[in-house]
Amino acid sequence: MAEVERPIVKRSLLSWVFDGNLGWQITLLGVIAVAVFTRVLPLEMQKRIVNQAITLRNVDLLLLYCGYYLAAVLVASACKYLINILETLISQRVLARMRAALYAHIITLPLSFFRHTQPGTVVNAIANELVVPSNFVGMAMSTPVSNILTLLAFAGFLFWLNPLLAAVSLSIYPAAMLVIPFLQKRANIANKSRVDQARVFSGRIAEAISGIHEIQGNGTYRIETRKFNKMVERLQKVRVTWSLYRFGVKSTNNLFTSLGPFLVFILGGYLTIKGQLELGSLVAFLSAQEKLYDPWKELIEFYQVHQDGAVNYTRTMEFFDAVPEHRLEPTGRKPLELEASLDIQNLSFVTESGIRLLDDVNLTLKPGEHLALVGFSGSGKSTLAMCIGQLYDYSEGHILLGNEELAHLSRKDVVTNVGIVAQNPFIFEGTMAENLLYACEAAAPGDGAPADGLPTLDDIIAVLHQTGLFTDVLRFGLNAFLSPEKHREVIKSIIRVRRKFQEKFGERLADYVEFFNENQYLSYSTVAENLTFGAANREAFANVHLSGNDYFLKFLDRADLRRLLLNLGARLARQTVDILGNLPPEGVFFEQSPMTAEELPAYKTIVEQIRRRKLEELPAEDHRKLLDLALRFTPGVHKMVGLAAEVQRLILERRAQFRADISRDLPDAFTFYSQNDYIYSQTILNNIFFGKTKTSSTQTQEIITQNIVQLLIEKDLLETIVDIGMHYNVGSKGDNLSGGQRQKLAIARVFLKAPRVLIMDEATSALDNKSQARIQNLLETRWKRKSTLIAVAHRLDTIRKFDKIAVMKAGKIIEMGGYDDLIARKGALYELVGRK
Amino acid sequence: MSSLEESSLGPSCEFQENLNLLRQTHFFSGLPLESLKVFAYLCMRERLHAGAFLFRQGEDDHQAYYIVSGKARLERSENGHERDIREFGAGAFIGGLTLLGETRRLYSLRTVEETVCILLSRDKFTKAIQQFPEQLPRIIRIVVRSINDWEDRFIGELAADCGGCLPRLGVSLL
Repeated sequence: MAEVERPIVKRSLLSWVFDGNLGWQITLLGVIAVAVFTRVLPLEMQKRIVNQAITLRNVDLLLLYCGYYLAAVLVASACKYLINILETLISQRVLARMRAALYAHIITLPLSFFRHTQPGTVVNAIANELVVPSNFVGMAMSTPVSNILTLLAFAGFLFWLNPLLAAVSLSIYPAAMLVIPFLQKRANIANKSRVDQARVFSGRIAEAISGIHEIQGNGTYRIETRKFNKMVERLQKVRVTWSLYRFGVKSTNNLFTSLGPFLVFILGGYLTIKGQLELGSLVAFLSAQEKLYDPWKELIEFYQVHQDGAVNYTRTMEFFDAVPEHRLEPTGRKPLELEASLDIQNLSFVTESGIRLLDDVNLTLKPGEHLALVGFSGSGKSTLAMCIGQLYDYSEGHILLGNEELAHLSRKDVVTNVGIVAQNPFIFEGTMAENLLYACEAAAPGDGAPADGLPTLDDIIAVLHQTGLFTDVLRFGLNAFLSPEKHREVIKSIIRVRRKFQEKFGERLADYVEFFNENQYLSYSTVAENLTFGAANREAFANVHLSGNDYFLKFLDRADLRRLLLNLGARLARQTVDILGNLPPEGVFFEQSPMTAEELPAYKTIVEQIRRRKLEELPAEDHRKLLDLALRFTPGVHKMVGLAAEVQRLILERRAQFRADISRDLPDAFTFYSQNDYIYSQTILNNIFFGKTKTSSTQTQEIITQNIVQLLIEKDLLETIVDIGMHYNVGSKGDNLSGGQRQKLAIARVFLKAPRVLIMDEATSALDNKSQARIQNLLETRWKRKSTLIAVAHRLDTIRKFDKIAVMKAGKIIEMGGYDDLIARKGALYELVGRK
Repeated sequence: MSSLEESSLGPSCEFQENLNLLRQTHFFSGLPLESLKVFAYLCMRERLHAGAFLFRQGEDDHQAYYIVSGKARLERSENGHERDIREFGAGAFIGGLTLLGETRRLYSLRTVEETVCILLSRDKFTKAIQQFPEQLPRIIRIVVRSINDWEDRFIGELAADCGGCLPRLGVSLL
C-alpha cells in the first residue's frame, strides 16, 4: 500500500523538531545567541569592578561597568522570557498537530482494532500522553543549544581565569554523568509501565461509565470498586517507583553540583592565601562556578523530559501502530463512479479467533436489483452487509462492485458509490441539518468541507417528506424560541397565524390547548407565570431569577404568598426526592420533575434538613431553593403533588395585584401576555396557540400539527419554520431524538446522498408501522431499478416485492430466489414465514 | 390563612391516584411500594373523545393502558370486515405484555364514549424496571400465571363449542 505521507505512528519524536517549525527554531537560535552573550558579560564586569574600579577607586569606571552589568541583566531576562514564549509556541503547535494527526490516524483504523480498544484509551492517548513529548519538542533545540553554549562559555571563562582551578571544579560533571543515566534508565522502565497502566486504567474507567446501568442495575458497586482499587494500587506503585528514580536523579545531581563550591573554596582559598590568585578572580570564579549550576540543572531536566517524552511517545505510537485496511483516497485519479452491479464469489469471513461467520457465499445482483437477506440472528446477514460496505475485510473470495474488486478500492471510491444505514445508526452532536448532510459532505468532492454539489433546502425538504421526518423537524421548529433582533418579519406573520388559528380551530382544540386566559389559573404554566402573566424584559425578572429578586420577594410578602409557596416548595421537594431519590440521572425520570437530575442532591440535603428542623429555621439559601421549586411548579406536568383550588384562586387574585404594582413601580419590566404581542419567553407553537398544549399524546399532536401546517402554508411560513427546525441540536449521540427519529434521520441522510448501492441493515426496526410502510413503499417505487439495494430484513412481511431473497443460515446462503418461487418451493423461507 | 395552608399540604394529586389504581392491577399488584411509586410517577393521563383509537391493529404502540373512566371497544378487521370483539370499561388494564417486549397489536382499541386512561410506555417501563431488576421475575411469574389461567378457563368454558380450534390450543405451552 503506497502511503503518500508517513503515518504518525511511524514518525520519530525528533522528526517533529524542525518539521513545520524551521522559522521559529531559527528565530529561537538567534535569541539564544544573544542570551548566552548577556549571561557571560556580567562575570567579566564583576571582575573589572573588583579589580579595576574598586582597586583604583575610580567612580566613573564603577558606574560604567555597573551600567554594562545592568544592561546585560535586563537583556538576559528579556531573552529568557522570549525563549520561553517561543518554546511554548513551538510545543503547543506540535501538540496540536500531533493530536490532529493521531486522531486522524485512529479513526481510519479497522473496526476490529476497536473491539479490543476502549474509548478511554484513545481519550487518554490524545489528551494526556502527548503533552510531555510535545513539551520536549518545544525545548528540543533551544535548551541543549543555549545551555551547552552557556556551559562552554562559563567553562572557557573559568579556564581563562585559572586553568587548574577550572579543571578541578569541572571534574564533578563527568562524575555525575556516570551515575545519572543509570538512575534514569530505571526511571524509564517504571515510566513505560506507567504509560501502559494509565492506558488500561483509562480504558477501565470508560468501560465502567458506559456500563453504569449494569453496575447500578446489579448493585455491583463493591465489585467494581474492588476491581478499580486494585488497578489504582498498581498504578500508585508504579508512579511511586517512577518518582523515586526521578527524584534520585535530581538529588544526585544536586549533591554533585553542591560539591563544586567546596572544591573551589579549598583549592582557590589556598591559592589566594599563597598569593597565586587575585581576590577578584576568586570572586569571579566563585560566581561563574555558581552560574554553571543553572544551565547544568536545565540540561538534566531536559534530559529527563526527553526520556519521559520519548517513552510516552513511542509507547503510545506503538499501541496505535495498526494499518487502515484500505486507502482513504485514490491516488492519481478521481474516485470511481462504478456500475451498481454486484458479483460475490466464494466469499468467506473468518474472525480473528477463527470463527467462520461467512462461508462460501455466492450471489450476483444486476444494477438496480433489490436483494433481501433473511435468516435467524447470527446467520451472517449483517456480516455480509458489512463486507459489501467494505467495513469488514473479507478473508477469502471476491466481491466485485461494478467489476472492481472491493478490497482494492479506496474508501472514497466506496463512499462515492455505496450508502449504508446501520442497524444502530449513530447520530453525532450537532444540528439536524449537519446530521442530514453528514453523508453527502463526505461523498462530495474535496476534503469534506461544505462545497458545491450539496443538496439544496428543497432537496432536503423532499427527503424529509419521504422519510416522514418532516413533521418532526417542523415540530422542532415550532418548539424553538425567536429573538426580536433576528426574526422581526417572522414574528409579525406568526401573530397573523395566531389570529387565524383561533378563528378556525380555537374551539375545536380547546380540549388540547390551555389558552393564556387572564381570568383563569393555568395548570400548564408555572406558578411564576401564573403570577406575572407576562414575559420579563429585564434579566433580573426572568423566571429563573425571580426567587432571588428583591422586588418580587417583597411583593410575595405583601401578597401573603411567601409562606404558602415555601410550604409548596417543601412538599414538592419531599415528594420528588421520595420518588426519584435513588434513581440515576436519566432524562426519562426527570421529564415530569420540577427539579433537574443535577439539582436532586441539593434538594435531598434540604429534605433531610426539613425532617430535623422547622421550615422557618432553614438557611436563606435553602428558602430560596424551595421558593424556586414552588415557582417552577406546573400542576399539569408535575403530578407528584396537587394544587388546591383555594390556592389557585389566591394566586389568580394576586396576578391582578402584581400587574397593578409593577406597572406603577417598574412599568417596563414586563410585557404582559396579550393577543397582539409576540411572547419571546414562549415557543413559536405556544405563540400560535396563545397558550400551551395539555397533551403529550402523539395522536393529538399530529392533529394539531396538521392544522397548523395548513395555516403556515397559507402564510408562507412553513419553510421558515422548517429551516429553524433544521437548526435543532440533536444532543450528544442524538439523545434529544427518539429511537424512531434517529433511525429516520439515518435513512434520510443516506437517501439524500442517493448512492448507487444502498445497504440497509434492519434499518426500519425502530419505526412505527406507518413510517415503515412509507419507507418500504419508497424503496419499491423510487429506488427500484435506480439503486441496487441490499436489505437485511427483520420483518418478513416487507420482503415480498424484492427481486431476490437470500435465506442465510450459519454463514451460508441456503436458498435464493424470488419470493413466490421460494414459498412455492416450500423450503427454508416457507418455514421461516410459517414460524412467524 | 391556616385553613388554606392546611389544605395546600395535601390536596389529592394524580400521582396518588395513579398509585392507588396501579396497585389494583394484577400486573403490578405484587410490587413493593418503592418501585410502584416510580411506575405511578411515570404514567401519563389522557382524556379521549368518543371514537378515538387507543391503538390500531398491526401497530406496535409501545404502551399499556388502564381505563380510569369511560369505555373502549376492541375490534378486529379481517379482509376488510370489522368485527367487534369485546368492550373494556373502567378498571381494565390492557397491554401488560407490550411492556415486556415488542408486540404488534392483533386488534384495534377504540373509545365508545369519552374515556380517561392512564398510559405507561414500554420505554419508561424498561428504564424503570432496570432500577428494580429483582422485581422482574415477579412480574413475569404473574404474566405466566395469567396466560395459564386464561387457557385453563378457555378450555373449561369453551372447548366443547370451539369446533376446529382445539388442535390450535396450547398457548400456555409456549
